[in-house]
Amino acid sequence: MTNPEPAQAHSHRRWDPLVRLTHWGIAVGVIANRLVVEGGSGLHLWLGLAIAALLGLRLAWGFIGPPEARFAAFPPSPRRALEHIGDIRASRRTVHASHNPLGALMAYALWGTLAVVIASGIAMSGFPPQVRPEMGGDQAMASAGLGESDDEGHEAQGGAGEAAEEIHEAAANLLLFLAFVHLGGVVFETRRSGRQVLSSMIGRGSKLRER
Amino acid sequence: MTSMQAPRGDRLATAVSFVVALQTLAAVFFIGDALVDVRSAQPGLHVATELVIALALLAGVAVGALQVRRLWVEGRRRQAALDVAAGALAAVTAERFRDWGLTPAEADVAVFALKGFDVAEIAGLRGSAEGTVRAQLAQVYRKAGVNSRAALACLFLEDLIPGPVPADRPVSP
Repeated sequence: MTNPEPAQAHSHRRWDPLVRLTHWGIAVGVIANRLVVEGGSGLHLWLGLAIAALLGLRLAWGFIGPPEARFAAFPPSPRRALEHIGDIRASRRTVHASHNPLGALMAYALWGTLAVVIASGIAMSGFPPQVRPEMGGDQAMASAGLGESDDEGHEAQGGAGEAAEEIHEAAANLLLFLAFVHLGGVVFETRRSGRQVLSSMIGRGSKLRER
Repeated sequence: MTSMQAPRGDRLATAVSFVVALQTLAAVFFIGDALVDVRSAQPGLHVATELVIALALLAGVAVGALQVRRLWVEGRRRQAALDVAAGALAAVTAERFRDWGLTPAEADVAVFALKGFDVAEIAGLRGSAEGTVRAQLAQVYRKAGVNSRAALACLFLEDLIPGPVPADRPVSP
């Protein structure tokens, strides 16, 4: 029979726009801040704050968003992750309403690492961020001359400041590494189960049925 | 002609999401900025005003976010209902075609005809001559007991329209 195929329920599953927006906003922001923007510059600090805002929005969405975006839909569970690995080994395809259990662990790992990056960044430069001279960057001098009351900025100097800086760099490197593994996971899942995992985050999730 | 676009509600949800994200950024930056004032200035009208603005921004974020959720969840529900309806209609169509004893080729042509393609378009889609399509279409009409494309479509529509339909009124072509 050659009926038009009924639109399949799973062919147009997509993440909601807020998930997509925060995902790509954070991705672009992190990459820009790490690879393009000079560390410690004013732009770096404000971009970091913007990333923090988007992370905050996504985490709040984990409580009030639609069902599949909520934390309750993808609890961090090593046991289920192991089961999922078993499914992969046995070539069993399973449908998950939200992240698959491995993807869920990655999501929490990325958020946790990003939170450490943000917290250590704020420990270094305060909130609102103040560019400090020793952090380098041309804007540092300009900002230091503004004469704002920056008591916050000085607290972090010395040993604590150095520790924060090292944590910041190590966590940022870990974050990029995790993002890389995440990409690998997406490629793997795409080859295993189709383009759905990709299209659901890009947004043109529905396979357009032309004519 | 039947390409499925993002439903209107989804586009609205996306637009509202952008506003919510912008408001979140604005709220964080404004609160950061206001903290400087709070630390340096005496508590007073200025600081109180900034507090109110910060709260208003956060309230805007919350209301916008809830709006996005409502639009999105409703959109998914509508989509699911549409899938069920499309699946049901496809099943009904297949059943009718079987009852009428359409050949696979005729059934194909009938589907395209129901979707509103004209003879030339159907011929192009099926890679056959227009004369063939016209003959197949005639067979479809004959087997279905109708004499026009509109009447054919009405055979499917009448099941979908609720309420009493006067039985004595002829189906107008």
